[in-house]
Amino acid sequence: MKLYQVVLKDILRRKRRVLYAILGVVIGTMTVVGILTTATAGQAKITAQLEKYGANLSLLPAVKSFDTGLGTLNLGTINVGDNYIAEDKIPQIRQITDTLIRKYRPDISTEGNISTIAPTLFIGTDVKGNSVVVAGIDPEEESQIKTWWVVSQGKYLDGADQALLGGQTATLLDLKIGDRLDLNTTTFTVVGILEDSGSDEDYQIFVPLSTLQNAFDKEGLVSSIDVRALCNGCPVEVIATALNQDIPGIRAVAVKQVAAAEMGMLEKINTFMLAIAGVTLIVGGFGVFNTLMTSISERKKDIGIMRAVGASRSQIIKALVYEAAVVGAGGGILGYIMGTALAFAIGPIIFEGTAISFVPIYLPVAFGLALCIAVLATLYPAIRAMKIKVADSFASL
Amino acid sequence: MLEIKNISKVYGNGENKVTALNNLSLTLEKGGYIAVMGPSGSGKSTLLNVIGGLDHLTSGEVVLEGERIDNLNENELVRLRRGKISYVFQQYHLLRSLTALENVLLPLTFCGSDGKKPRAMELLEGVGLGKRIHHKPNELSGGEQQRVAIARALVNDPVLTLADEPTGNMDQKNGRAILDLFDRLNKNGQTIIMVTHNPEAARRAKKIVVLEDGQIVDQILNNE
Repeated sequence: MKLYQVVLKDILRRKRRVLYAILGVVIGTMTVVGILTTATAGQAKITAQLEKYGANLSLLPAVKSFDTGLGTLNLGTINVGDNYIAEDKIPQIRQITDTLIRKYRPDISTEGNISTIAPTLFIGTDVKGNSVVVAGIDPEEESQIKTWWVVSQGKYLDGADQALLGGQTATLLDLKIGDRLDLNTTTFTVVGILEDSGSDEDYQIFVPLSTLQNAFDKEGLVSSIDVRALCNGCPVEVIATALNQDIPGIRAVAVKQVAAAEMGMLEKINTFMLAIAGVTLIVGGFGVFNTLMTSISERKKDIGIMRAVGASRSQIIKALVYEAAVVGAGGGILGYIMGTALAFAIGPIIFEGTAISFVPIYLPVAFGLALCIAVLATLYPAIRAMKIKVADSFASL
Repeated sequence: MLEIKNISKVYGNGENKVTALNNLSLTLEKGGYIAVMGPSGSGKSTLLNVIGGLDHLTSGEVVLEGERIDNLNENELVRLRRGKISYVFQQYHLLRSLTALENVLLPLTFCGSDGKKPRAMELLEGVGLGKRIHHKPNELSGGEQQRVAIARALVNDPVLTLADEPTGNMDQKNGRAILDLFDRLNKNGQTIIMVTHNPEAARRAKKIVVLEDGQIVDQILNNE
């Protein structure tokens, strides 16, 4: 017969008492797992929502404007520099951006492109006697950034001579799917109309970048480049500074949008929730400590018997740690299951409509945490048990 | 085999000072069987505790098989309990979660000798519990529990068995059965010191030692 078998048999005899101890651990781990699972789901939802805010870096031509005048007489503004960015700078922009993201977030994939880089060429032109802004875009990259775009009629751009209209443009110019649209030297076919988004885009026309460049003799030129490097902890400001330093002729601006604020808020909520979980864990730990103290005092006689028949102090401690391990393991597994159930119950209330899912990595976390609480809560009672004198344990009877 | 030399045990100090053992000396040969008698508070259980290393002496020496055992440290006491000295208590002191057989195996669990199950079975057969080995203490009578406790005390082949009122909780019939068992063990060479209030139990021993106020006031040799 092994020592662990003696312990297990004793646990089976004192089922109720051990269950109370397990319950103490369950309450602590359940709260931690529940909060972490909810926070994980909430973070995913908020990150997904934040992506809809689009680019977080805007690259514009480095044009400098000077106001000129003579005394109080204003003689107008002088612009110095090009009004366009050379398209061949995009690979360099991508290289700088991706390198910095990988440096700050080594957990992100090391292969392929990370950031989304969407160049745009804006051309003001005349359509049916109306002044309209035509935007030349890279359809694929643009759709990654403009995640809020919804094609209400027709389809998205998939050919060279196609045009996508803002909702208001279609109405004002009376254009429908299949209509032809002459822009300078090129004729486009309207293939899709966007749903109104309440922005300037509602009044614009979108066509493939290279076609527009050819049509207006602007080969290799773009008006602006939107870069999206949206991930929690991505160094947007650092990227902007690096781009400004390394690439002449452009002005990179970090778009301090809602993203940073929302991410910061989420982190604060996470910290707050974890603090609550920590307090609950401590309370649970005291529960376990209390239960084990009572249990050891109740078993003073049993400990005395074991000592009298040859158990060493270390064997008594080992027996108590085995019991703590059972309490911890039971509490950890149950805590994980109940914590996940808790997340399923409260998650959708806290983060409206959030789909909660099992987070398997929290199982070993809960297990380890519960084990630590149980073993730590056992230490003091075990030291006390170790000091019990055999004669005293029997004399008290 | 056992030499007790001028031992004293004093509890408390000042006005609360209680002298449980007062300059007491005693010897016991291998195969001996002593019954210790005396009124309550005369120092019987204290004597048993200091011999067994359950309590420390104030002064004097206890020597077992040539080794002084009154000043052993904790680890050495564990070694003593694992092989040289065993106890039989009035309250049996069995673990409630274990069966009779497992209780007898318990000392072996602690000293790491796993292969002695046949020895434990043999001892339980010897105390007449061969058919009750899988019963737990609450399924056994007081007499049966004490027999399990005796089997447990012998499983490590100790040189000395200390019994504190082993029949104190039993009716006459069960008490006699236990005393018969001690007689048999002693005839087989087991050295025993038994504390008892029961004159019938004391008469079974080879020698009766009478204590009063922590001192031996009489020693009576029983005829075979």
